[in-house]
Amino acid sequence: MITCGESSEMPARLMDYWNPFLETLPRERLVEIELKNFHEVLWYAKEKSAFYRKKFEGIDPEDLKTREDIKGVPLTDKEDLRIAQEREAPTIYGDILGVDLKEVSDFRQTSGTTGKPVYVPETYESWQWRVEVWCHILWMAGFRETDRVFIPFGYNVYVAFWEGHYAAEKLGCEVVPGGALDTRGRINKMMELKATALMNTPTYGLHMAEVAKKMGVDPKEVGIKRMQCAGEPLPKATHTMLEEAWGAEVYDHIGGTEPCAWAAMCGERNGLHIMEPFFLVEILDMETLSREVEEGELGVAVVTPLGRDSFPLVRFNTQDVVRRGRDGCPCGRTSMMITEVAGRADDLKKIRGVLFTPVSVEEIIRKEFSGIIEYEIVVKKKGIMDEITLKVEPQEEMGADAMAELTARLTERLKMKTNLRFNIQHAKPGELPRYPLKSKRFKDLRGT
Amino acid sequence: MANDVRDNDMGLISDMKQKIEEIERLVFELKDLGRGMPVVEKNVRSILSFTHVLRFGISDLVEGSDVKGG
Repeated sequence: MITCGESSEMPARLMDYWNPFLETLPRERLVEIELKNFHEVLWYAKEKSAFYRKKFEGIDPEDLKTREDIKGVPLTDKEDLRIAQEREAPTIYGDILGVDLKEVSDFRQTSGTTGKPVYVPETYESWQWRVEVWCHILWMAGFRETDRVFIPFGYNVYVAFWEGHYAAEKLGCEVVPGGALDTRGRINKMMELKATALMNTPTYGLHMAEVAKKMGVDPKEVGIKRMQCAGEPLPKATHTMLEEAWGAEVYDHIGGTEPCAWAAMCGERNGLHIMEPFFLVEILDMETLSREVEEGELGVAVVTPLGRDSFPLVRFNTQDVVRRGRDGCPCGRTSMMITEVAGRADDLKKIRGVLFTPVSVEEIIRKEFSGIIEYEIVVKKKGIMDEITLKVEPQEEMGADAMAELTARLTERLKMKTNLRFNIQHAKPGELPRYPLKSKRFKDLRGT
Repeated sequence: MANDVRDNDMGLISDMKQKIEEIERLVFELKDLGRGMPVVEKNVRSILSFTHVLRFGISDLVEGSDVKGG
């Protein structure tokens, strides 16, 4: 048996980081490495992927010397990937694949929330690269070899929890896959095994807390010290609610199946670090997607992963709307920060002429209406007018007066926040669906 | 803290880069010796996947190094 004994011998200053050298590099060096790697990816994509050979015809990587020059390279959208995979092609991955099919060792796919799922292949090497990104994420969140990590899902073909599983294992944690149990069974298992860390969607974290309380268990007593969220946005109010419910440190990250996770929270729990230089991330103005926004501005994240051969992805438009923060952090890491994940550009809907994002409703409910355990937003056409309905489910049965009061307060707060008048409906406790993976609380039925 | 790491450790990073290259060289030699044997070829592939990650996280940080990510 091989033992390294590295933990006890390593100077404490190095142990603060998964990779102390890389995470504290001067920014100009990070940018230099990213540009060099961007060139490599561009050459590779043009050479190995028929999809990119066509897309980048006439583009010479040697002409791209600065971040500004990169803006001349066309963006890749999820729809491009879907179309490429629908066309007749030698493999199910379309003509994007950057390696021989025999090199592919893992199949994953996107959740299909916004349309037909995209298939994402990984080689053993590109998979290890993704796992390494997740090692950074979990180390920043304080996961260590003393943790017993419970993952309360069957991961199926969805990537995030697989990445989390393998990364936690690589960190030396003890990983417990918690699929094939119902929520009560999972809570019992966590208590039985004295789990110290969790990975889950924010929605399922709240649901598990709700079920634990129904079982007569205070979630704080389960013993979870830290929780890594995945799969959904984590607005500040939901973050606070999860920390209070579980008595744990809750960490967020942002990413997707196609590019991998590309930004995550450190121990400061105040914004997300872009995982440089694993990715070249541009935060572009939402109108033209041609200008990098300044600190404090909202923009759309365009991401190029810099270490994967199987599925080359160049300037991928994630549709994630984020607020650019400062460079660097009191934790000592020098990477660019984002201070807010405001939602997705494709979630921005025009309702009665007003731009609306469902995250704004979640913020209000989680922050100001703790008696509401679940909700659903439905937009329909009534004649020529859009009608927006918010169905709310209380923790406990409510009397008529309490419901009327809740309706009045919600209507007023939502009007103030969104400039829209909502039709409020009340669901019975337990009536609305619960979502273990990505929640589907927003339904736009205007086109159906 | 960050300055501390940068100023004192570039020599250490260079040394590690050299070791990573040595490992890769040895692994390729092993691959040649065990050509056609799944036990060697598949495990060599796994080792090279990890050196890929180390090149990304360590070797690429050496200034003037031939950065390879893809």
